[in-house]
Amino acid sequence: MNFSSKHTLPALALLGLTLGSCQPTLDDNRPAATAGSADFSRYIAVGNSLTAGVSDGGLYREGQLSSYPNILAQQFAQVGGGPFVQPLFSEAQSNGTGYLQLTGFTPATPTATSAPLTASVTSKLAVRGAVVTRSNPATNPQPIYTKDLSEVNNLGISGIRMSDILTPGFGNVALTGGTASAPTSIFNSYFERITPDNSNESYLDRVKRTVASIKPTFFTEWLGNNDVLGYATAGGAANSITPAVTFAVNTGYVLDALTSGGAKGVVITIPDVTNIPFFTAVGPSFRANLDLNKVPVAAAPFIYTTGTLAPSATPGANARVTTTLSSIRDASGSGNLLLMLTASPYVSFYGKVSGKYWRDFYRQATGAYPTRPTDPAFNAFLGGMGVDTTQAFGQSSGNPFPSTLVLDPTEQAAVASATTTFNATLTAAATSRDLAIFDSNTFFRGVAQGGYVTNAVNNTAGFISGNLFSLDGVHPTPRGYAVVANEIIKVINAKYGSSLRQVDANAYRGVQFPQ
Amino acid sequence: MTVRKLLLAGGVLLVSASAASASGFQVNLNGQKNNGMGGVGVALSLDQAAMFYNPGALAMVRESGVQIGANFAFARNAFIPETGGGQSNLRNTTVTPANFYAAFGPKEGKWKFGVGAYTPFGSELHYANNWEGRYALTDINLRAIFAQVTGSYAITPQLSIGAGLVMLAYGDVDLQKDIPLAAQNGAPTPHITLNGKAKQTFGYNVGIFFKPSDKLSVGASYRSQVDAKIEGGDVRLRDVIASTGGNFTATNFSATLPLPATASVGLAVMPNDKLTLSVEANLVYWNVYHTLDFTFSGNNGYGTTPGLVGGSSTSSAKRYYQDALCFRLGGQYKVTDGLTVRAGGFFDQSAVKDGYVSPETPDADRIGLTAGLSYDFGKHFGVDASFLFEDFMKRSQSQADLVNNGTTDRVAGTYKTTIAVPGVGLYVKF
Repeated sequence: MNFSSKHTLPALALLGLTLGSCQPTLDDNRPAATAGSADFSRYIAVGNSLTAGVSDGGLYREGQLSSYPNILAQQFAQVGGGPFVQPLFSEAQSNGTGYLQLTGFTPATPTATSAPLTASVTSKLAVRGAVVTRSNPATNPQPIYTKDLSEVNNLGISGIRMSDILTPGFGNVALTGGTASAPTSIFNSYFERITPDNSNESYLDRVKRTVASIKPTFFTEWLGNNDVLGYATAGGAANSITPAVTFAVNTGYVLDALTSGGAKGVVITIPDVTNIPFFTAVGPSFRANLDLNKVPVAAAPFIYTTGTLAPSATPGANARVTTTLSSIRDASGSGNLLLMLTASPYVSFYGKVSGKYWRDFYRQATGAYPTRPTDPAFNAFLGGMGVDTTQAFGQSSGNPFPSTLVLDPTEQAAVASATTTFNATLTAAATSRDLAIFDSNTFFRGVAQGGYVTNAVNNTAGFISGNLFSLDGVHPTPRGYAVVANEIIKVINAKYGSSLRQVDANAYRGVQFPQ
Repeated sequence: MTVRKLLLAGGVLLVSASAASASGFQVNLNGQKNNGMGGVGVALSLDQAAMFYNPGALAMVRESGVQIGANFAFARNAFIPETGGGQSNLRNTTVTPANFYAAFGPKEGKWKFGVGAYTPFGSELHYANNWEGRYALTDINLRAIFAQVTGSYAITPQLSIGAGLVMLAYGDVDLQKDIPLAAQNGAPTPHITLNGKAKQTFGYNVGIFFKPSDKLSVGASYRSQVDAKIEGGDVRLRDVIASTGGNFTATNFSATLPLPATASVGLAVMPNDKLTLSVEANLVYWNVYHTLDFTFSGNNGYGTTPGLVGGSSTSSAKRYYQDALCFRLGGQYKVTDGLTVRAGGFFDQSAVKDGYVSPETPDADRIGLTAGLSYDFGKHFGVDASFLFEDFMKRSQSQADLVNNGTTDRVAGTYKTTIAVPGVGLYVKF
């Protein structure tokens, strides 16, 4: 035998290459995705803005593509799921209704005390006009959007409440307007988008029509958030919470419609809205700023209004509550007042002589800013609420912090009670029909307390930094929707014995930061 | 002449590392003859590599000599995530752990002195682009070259002892990962590289070797822990998003990585003058590795607060390794005067506990099978060849495991690794 290095080295290298290329494979041993006892071939989704894919305060193509029903449909497709049609905005109108974009921070370095700056995207919109409605006078008409009359599987309608599903003409642009004495129904631009012209079809009618034509084998149902959210985001100053009886009756209607053809599905409970950044972002950052400036929060007065805020003599309206700054909930959870995200532009005026909030409020109500230096109408408007803008904002009874920016303990209790009642209704209705239940309330409470890690990435319920909630502080980011989809998949797998695969949530973006 | 100069004079290929071929990020490829015999060595006095395996046995190596060896590690790894898509594989690289030993002493004398260089720790892994664990790790290259001066003394013709002064002569680390922030307009994902050189630090090894007859030998050895301390390592940031720059100001980092102690005991039998069989056990004291802590400093001007990475000036990742045992069995047979053939195998226990597997060390219990041969060309010169194949047990961890352990800084899924390592060595003896 003759071993020379000349021959040995190449031989060894070759041996190494041959054996080294024994790439291990794991895919082959992996159990295949299966449907279990469910049939995912025809899936429809019923719900509100969360189901439509609203993000960053708007409905736009990227959000639609990242909606949890669309993500679910992709995973269903691996086990026999068919096409899933959404009323997608076209590429040319990809920004849909427009949405918020982060433009920076003030101060520029993002910290616990810096405030984000946002601006609306105004290009490539799908706005086709604007109409006057009961809630939107001619000075501030309600936009309507490019229609999509295809037979869609995603029936998510932004803004819809459980209490709205029987409303005729909900999507009929011809029925907008009316007068104060003879108001027309509440009109929804998003439902109008997918409703044929001059049709008075209610949302429930549309669900029934879709069930009849698509014959779904599987569905998800996530309605009810707006039945309490509208009250909460208005600080209890407007919108009422849906009566429990209406909620229960309508829940029965929509689930009966969905299961009429024997479809299986998932009913999703509504999360406690007070855990979302809309209510948790501004207070702690305001408190951190006060601490930074060494303001004695336990001694400094904080005066706000509660209940209805309007220039009126209605008893109980514009009532003042006197407390101290330490009542505002801080990052540690101390304090019982929640400040809304909408309070963000105004908290810095605390203790200063400022009429900024009231001028903005006047514009919302009338469509125009007050004229300077004096505007008798504006003065009358302020007088109707007992407001004197020459006093210190938030520190005086004459210039109180408005109830529209504060969710106080009474309002929080009303929200919590309604959430509990509605979820009990949803759970009972799902159980009696042997449907799967995704308890999003429990899930989001867990996220608020401990965050949610996706493949080594820490996500939290924090505003902007948390990556699960978008810039409106209410709706998830695409990452948030992917996480929701994964949680729904877990529930489906547990209920129906399927083995649907989850998605890599990190493949869906969180908040986008400006360059 | 300093050790380093001697090493360089020896012409050893010192750019070397490995996808860890033993538990944790240990590499057990430090003698080409031993490599062919399942990595046994503590109860043997085969050649100059004894100064690594058991410095006590060096005095029993009859000839003086110089030897060099190099290995070519081809690691193949597959990962499937608990969530999401299919299998991702490593971007394949070959790494080349190397060793060099020279020992001198009078032929029939009681003393032997030696110098050596070897690579007992290292890891190099490059994960697939966009793999699910990219926010935990995309690339790692950990390299450590040890140099050693050794003295060994035969107290009696049957009993010898030895000790070595061990130096971490060169060590560096390169860790990279993506930063989980999204930029507007589809700009690239930010990426961070931590790159630093370890300070030169010292340790030791000691050993005792007893050969009561021609048919039996036993040995025990201990190699101390050496800490790889990095101070003033470079923090390199790529594609930082301007509006988040204030959270990414660090330019430097410091960190310490323990390179743990190892204790070995073994026994060899020589039933005849052609056959040698040996068994041994190693205990690697991995439990000293609790956390991997980084401290950041410096200011690159992206913001006002210095020393931040992701808004924090420190980071700490749980490791909590466990002591790992390894059992080895190997033998050699002298076929002719010139040709010796070898075979062996080992079972190496993972240093990483369940639910603590991180991408930088996708460790698992593994089985190794080896083969090797040597051929002497005349009295003074010869070549060694070795081949090692390691099969890691498939290892899974779920997100629930990670949440329970507080180790969610890594990714849930299943890893499977195999390594093939051909090696070659040259020796002269006199």
